[in-house]
Amino acid sequence: MAQKKMSFEQALERIEEIVSDIEDGSVPLEESIDKYAEGIKLIEHCRTVLGDAEKKIQLLTKAHDRDQKLDPAGQLPEDDLEDDE
Amino acid sequence: MPDDRFAFFDPDKSNAAGLSAREAVEPAGVRAMSVSALLAGVKRALADAYPARVTVVGEISNFKFHSSGHMYFRLKNANSAIDVAMFKSRAAKLKFTPADGIKVIIAGRVDVYEVRGQLQLYADRMTPCGQGALELAFRQLCDKLRSEGLFDPAARKAIPKFPRAIGIVTSLTGAAIRDIRRTLRRRWPAAKAYVLGSLVQGQGAAGEIARSVTLIDANARAYDIDVIIVARGGGSLEDLQAFNEEVVARAIYQARTPVICGVGHETDITVADMVADVRAATPTAAAELAVPDADQVRRYIDDLGARMTRQVRDNISAAKSSLTGLGRSAVFRDPMAVVRTRIQQIDELSLRARGVLGETIAGAREALGGPANRLAALHPARLATGARARLQQLQHALAWTLGRRAKSTGDRLAESAGRLKASCPRHRIALAFQQVDAAARQLESMSHRAVLGRGFSLTRDSDGRILRSTARTYPGQTITTELSDGKVVSVVGPTGVRRKKKPPPGEGAKLFD
Repeated sequence: MAQKKMSFEQALERIEEIVSDIEDGSVPLEESIDKYAEGIKLIEHCRTVLGDAEKKIQLLTKAHDRDQKLDPAGQLPEDDLEDDE
Repeated sequence: MPDDRFAFFDPDKSNAAGLSAREAVEPAGVRAMSVSALLAGVKRALADAYPARVTVVGEISNFKFHSSGHMYFRLKNANSAIDVAMFKSRAAKLKFTPADGIKVIIAGRVDVYEVRGQLQLYADRMTPCGQGALELAFRQLCDKLRSEGLFDPAARKAIPKFPRAIGIVTSLTGAAIRDIRRTLRRRWPAAKAYVLGSLVQGQGAAGEIARSVTLIDANARAYDIDVIIVARGGGSLEDLQAFNEEVVARAIYQARTPVICGVGHETDITVADMVADVRAATPTAAAELAVPDADQVRRYIDDLGARMTRQVRDNISAAKSSLTGLGRSAVFRDPMAVVRTRIQQIDELSLRARGVLGETIAGAREALGGPANRLAALHPARLATGARARLQQLQHALAWTLGRRAKSTGDRLAESAGRLKASCPRHRIALAFQQVDAAARQLESMSHRAVLGRGFSLTRDSDGRILRSTARTYPGQTITTELSDGKVVSVVGPTGVRRKKKPPPGEGAKLFD
């Protein structure tokens, strides 16, 4: 299943859909178990996305060659004295 | 200044005849200059003293906006005033509308306007200054942009719920970028963040902010940037002025990516705030609006998972108990029970049917018996024969005595006999026999022929006895099987006979007798 290509929002919407279908009672038992399996996979995917480590802010700078292009230019330096919440 | 630059007029020495003005008033050794020369000199001196542009602050008065596009006014303070001219080309670039009473700063050149010998300030640039002036300029720009629809709520774009990356336009130094970084990490570390540094106040800041917004928007797709934050920490009204400039407002409005503006403190509102898709009170607030809270989302997903699991578990155990319940029912414990009941019913019905019909037919026959006999006795044919015989006697007798008239009377009597014969209730008997036929057909339908029609077959051995048990068969035996529409003669195969387990007593089907 191509859920990795699915955006986080789409995955979350699909999970909500599955839960709603199962809770409705309109789905036969065997199908509800299939949907459950799909739901679990999507939940794991979302948890992985949420668990992503914090990233550093990337600097951008105007490219030399083209007028509208921006190039990556390293990371924003961390301030050691920064007050972390 | 050396005295010899001035020319003194001595009436005693005047000579009106044929001398030039210069010569006339020139005493020995003293020269008089023309007005042009004087003004030229003043210009030179001025240029020496003020070679570069001057920047002057003052209040506008006597403002005139000429139809030519040039502006003429006076710039004054408490005790002094200077005439100002701002030509069309410069005036067109103004970011506000000048008016009497507005305090401004003008950058320009001082020069002498020779035609009237007047000192003039030629304005290159003019900006409002001071609280009142800035607020006026702010209001003027707001009116202009509002009328063009830049503040229209319908033009605002929605912020995506789960942005993949955030683009930030702010100073690389200062509190704003640190606040934003801290907030993004706390709330939604899953998103990437990119910053394009820019001046955020002073000369050129507005242009740079505008260009940065446009650039990030142009590169948004390449970097998966789903939302842009434009931010600046707190400051005075003057400090925030770059965000009140038209160029910044237009850049934000034209960006295809949604823009969150977080400039200054809670109470500061700039033009950029009003054009942005979402206004945030501060840079931190802007970051909070840009991303969701990961903890909250995580709890929500956990809850969805729990609901889903609970529901499926409930469904499965409900299905299990239904299944168990069904398993306990008579249908599964003793499936033959239903068949046994049906077989018994059929037996009883067929017995009753036979009995009832037999009785009915016997009864009908009996009932018909008496009347039938009586009818037979009264058979018109018999009566008719008897009557005819007597009639013939009478006829002959009459014929003897009466001749032809007696014969015709006799004929008429014969005619009556015929009519009597025709009106016998034969049809009523025919009807009774029809009813008996119908009853016989009913009986037949309950007989073995109809059962055959349903697919059962009757097998007899070579002696014509009905085969009910495999025990009476042997390989090579000739058997006849009666189906609904005929008989099939077959021979029991050499592979022998498959015997079923002996069924318990009472279960043998007794459909046929």
